[in-house]
Amino acid sequence: MTQMARATSEVAGGSDRAMAIEPRASRSWWRLIVLLFGALVFIFPFYYMIVGSLQKTENTSPSGALPNPGNMTLHNYGQINAAIGLGKAIINSGIFTGGVLLATIVFGVLAGYALARLSFRGRGLLFALTLLVLTVPFQLLIVPLYVLIARNYGLANSYLGMIAPFAINSVAVLIFRQYFLQLPAEMFDAARMDGASELRILRHIAIPLVRPALLTAMLLTFIGPWNEFLWPFLITKEQSLQPLAVAMANYIDNVAATAANPYGAILAGACVLAAPAVALIIAFQRYFVSTNIGSGVKG
Amino acid sequence: MTKSRTWFAAALTLTVAVALAVAACGGGGGVSASTATSAYGPISIWYSNNAQEVAWGEQMVASWNKLHPGQQVTGEQIPSGQSSEEVIGAAITAGTEPCLIYNTSPASVPDFEKQGGLVPLNDFPGGAAYIEARTGPGASVYKSPDGKYYQLPWKSNPVMIFYNKKEFAKAGISTTNPPLRTYSQFLATAKKLVSSGAAKYAIYPSPSSEFFEAWYDFYPLYAAESGGQELVENNKATFDSAAGQAVAGFWRQLYARNLAGDESYNGDPFADGTAAMAIVGPWAIADYQGVVDWGVVPLPTSQGNSLDTIATFSDAKNVAMYASCKNRGTAWNFLKYSTSLAEDGKLLDMTGQMPMRQGIQQLYASYFKANPAYKEFAAEAAHVIEVPIVPNSVEIWQAFRNDWSESVIFGQERPGQALAAAASQINQLVTGNGEP
Amino acid sequence: MTSAAAPGKHRSGATEPMATEPMVRRFGRAVLGRQPIGMIFGAPYLLFIVVLFAYPLGLAVYMSFHRYFFTAPGVSVPRPFVGLSNYAAVFSDPAVRQSFLNLLIFLVINVPFTVVLSLLLATALNAAIPFRAFFRTSFLAPYVTASVAMIGVWLFMFSSGGIVNSALGPLAPVPSWLVNQKWAMPSIAIYVTWKGLGFYILLYLAALQAVPKELYEAAVMDGASWWHRLLSVTVPGVRQVTTLVTLLAVITGANLFTEPYLLTGGGGPNGKSASPVLLIYQTGIEQNHPDFASALGIILVIGVLLIAGIQQLVQRRQA
Repeated sequence: MTQMARATSEVAGGSDRAMAIEPRASRSWWRLIVLLFGALVFIFPFYYMIVGSLQKTENTSPSGALPNPGNMTLHNYGQINAAIGLGKAIINSGIFTGGVLLATIVFGVLAGYALARLSFRGRGLLFALTLLVLTVPFQLLIVPLYVLIARNYGLANSYLGMIAPFAINSVAVLIFRQYFLQLPAEMFDAARMDGASELRILRHIAIPLVRPALLTAMLLTFIGPWNEFLWPFLITKEQSLQPLAVAMANYIDNVAATAANPYGAILAGACVLAAPAVALIIAFQRYFVSTNIGSGVKG
Repeated sequence: MTKSRTWFAAALTLTVAVALAVAACGGGGGVSASTATSAYGPISIWYSNNAQEVAWGEQMVASWNKLHPGQQVTGEQIPSGQSSEEVIGAAITAGTEPCLIYNTSPASVPDFEKQGGLVPLNDFPGGAAYIEARTGPGASVYKSPDGKYYQLPWKSNPVMIFYNKKEFAKAGISTTNPPLRTYSQFLATAKKLVSSGAAKYAIYPSPSSEFFEAWYDFYPLYAAESGGQELVENNKATFDSAAGQAVAGFWRQLYARNLAGDESYNGDPFADGTAAMAIVGPWAIADYQGVVDWGVVPLPTSQGNSLDTIATFSDAKNVAMYASCKNRGTAWNFLKYSTSLAEDGKLLDMTGQMPMRQGIQQLYASYFKANPAYKEFAAEAAHVIEVPIVPNSVEIWQAFRNDWSESVIFGQERPGQALAAAASQINQLVTGNGEP
Repeated sequence: MTSAAAPGKHRSGATEPMATEPMVRRFGRAVLGRQPIGMIFGAPYLLFIVVLFAYPLGLAVYMSFHRYFFTAPGVSVPRPFVGLSNYAAVFSDPAVRQSFLNLLIFLVINVPFTVVLSLLLATALNAAIPFRAFFRTSFLAPYVTASVAMIGVWLFMFSSGGIVNSALGPLAPVPSWLVNQKWAMPSIAIYVTWKGLGFYILLYLAALQAVPKELYEAAVMDGASWWHRLLSVTVPGVRQVTTLVTLLAVITGANLFTEPYLLTGGGGPNGKSASPVLLIYQTGIEQNHPDFASALGIILVIGVLLIAGIQQLVQRRQA
């Protein structure tokens, strides 16, 4: 359950300061060696994914790790596109992920703000429930959820049914709460004294101050639905509604066997599935280190 | 609020939720059976997702729709999952399954029935008579314990041994009459294939632990060896017997000597030449066209039984009508239309699978003349056995498969002991006493 | 519950009510809190939790105490109360025992590797070194990428004729990693360690930056070696995060599903990589025994909560 992990990272990272560096006495060459070795282990599968997806015939020997112009083709992409319709699958993934992001940003921020900054009856209960949500494995709920959403609510084969169980990411709620908690209380008191409504305080004071944190939370929220496959697989029986991760998992499971170069096609699909997430962290990589919220408030 | 109070409150909320859940159980509307059988209107159906059956299904639906503008049929491929049983079971629960599914495994019928997910075809006037007239006496196998038909026996795929002629030739084995009749011949041939380097494995059924995999390694050979006994007869497992032991011992030898692969394989090991033999039905012929130069022989038995009495597993797929179907009158008419003499002929023609219709060799003589490769399967179709139509059927197969994997494939237990253990567990399951 | 709960000691968000306020409002505050609008802000989320979390959870608890299987809509079947018999069935099922054993193997490998490697890499990363952003991004890449995609590559690399085995030559295990009864679960554990490590590195990075520099300087003055500094300053300095990382790794392990489902083809070979959650899925969804699956799930949740509680206790004693 990486959800929980995501939440707490932000909690732990709350006290993050610019860059506290271990004394110069430690030489940096060993660091570089360790890091380079580590990076190699982490990056290689991605590199290999790309190379493998371009292979005309599968080459699993060590020489296959090097791109060989004689054995290169885009055919695998064509093949997986023909099998699962990449474009449609990506749109489905986009709608699914977008719906979750939208609901999380609207209702999650509201809930996070209420938990952090508003004193009302039931706050403790809401907070405890949030934590409970994070401890219970989703697989335990899948069985009753399926009945509930497909039968009672009649949402099988719909985007709404796909989005519903993920709609508000509890991890994001905790992150929002954490960031709102870190803002100085005096600021809120002052605004309230001036007669500002809570919604106004939230929109014009609190949110602008934690904007980078919102981005972090959204990036982390993105990962969940974009990568999820079990739930959308259960709830969407129509292939035309299936997100990419589901289509891919089905492809690995059933169809790959009939392709000329099954691994090539699988890897081509993997590249398409991985690209957006990787592109996002490269584009926003600085936000993945907890943002320095303290200086933002003071400055 | 202190922490313990918070938790108490959370617990309280949960208790309320439990109470709500309990209160909400049950309810929901169904379809009144008596009125629905004469209701007409649009329906939807699912068919299998292989290219040939999709083509057949599409043309069939299109031709019906042209004739029946007020009762349009929407055909879709069955959604893919690890198994179609799982997908259908989930759809029944949600009430989202279509009227007819042309890919209903007989093994799952008892479970769907228990879910209240199936419509007995006896509800329709002349229902049972239609089924029996089409399939003949063999139809009675598909009757459920309550004496009703919850499925229409549709098509079978009698499995046989396919062999790769090129690899057999490479190993110096006859490609027209390979020695595969008895177990000892089969083992010797298998050894030759592997030791000569003609193929990595002699045969490669999927070693995974899905319940249905037993239909492609143990069950056909058991049918052949036992002279057509089903896994369970008269509510008792039959396989803890000399025939069962012989089959298990035979496979154990193949695995122990590395003549059969025990790793799950990504792809079709027979199509890509990794394995020189395969146990499959005629549906695969289309897949192997132009890929493998294949021949086909009946299943081996310990003593080499006479060729025209060798039984095999039917690997049938049937059509069932599902409970959330509203326009059942249309569904029934469509079912008859899709299993008519003409459509059965098209099915045979387009997919190579055998409609479960009496006397197909005579009815479609011209087809078998043009495609002699299918003749053997049509002949075989006369001696097929089915999976037992008993409660807990899927679990019974799963229990069998688990013990089989443990002993025969992975050699961690003696096959004899494993069969005995599986038999006693299955005897409990079949009477409905066993828990999962 | 976990350390996530630790920051839950709120500072009061508003000033004390003024004495001049009318009685009604004061009464309202006593009942509804100082900012009752919070109820409205929190309402959609509460509704979400009740409808899509608490209710299904309640249903799961209900199912675990009854004989329950899924039926078509409108079909009513008796669902007798069976007490603890579903739980008894879970405990006596050899497949369940195997899955918990597999989980133990997973944790024994995954947790120490995760802690040691992420601390090591975070320490290396916690300095003014070139390409810092590149390293950070590359460590994080597997974490953000869909398991379905990564599994495709691992299948390719670790299949019997894959690049890993070709590189190892005669040292490669037979049968290959993912289909070898001894190696299947360790392979999954290593895969999961690899995939999640980037996230734990981030956790440690944040914690390392909070370790006071003076401690390092003092250690250097005392002539402590690098190794000694790591043990005497860094490790104690990040102890809290280590506890957290351990806990998160345990929870992640307890929820293991996608990897045995796809990487080892449904918990194979011979059930040697099946996880409890995979069994929940197989028995509940595939075999229509949601009663059994729910009981198993609840046992699993209780197990996780127990571990979390024990850890909390240990941590409190240490503090």
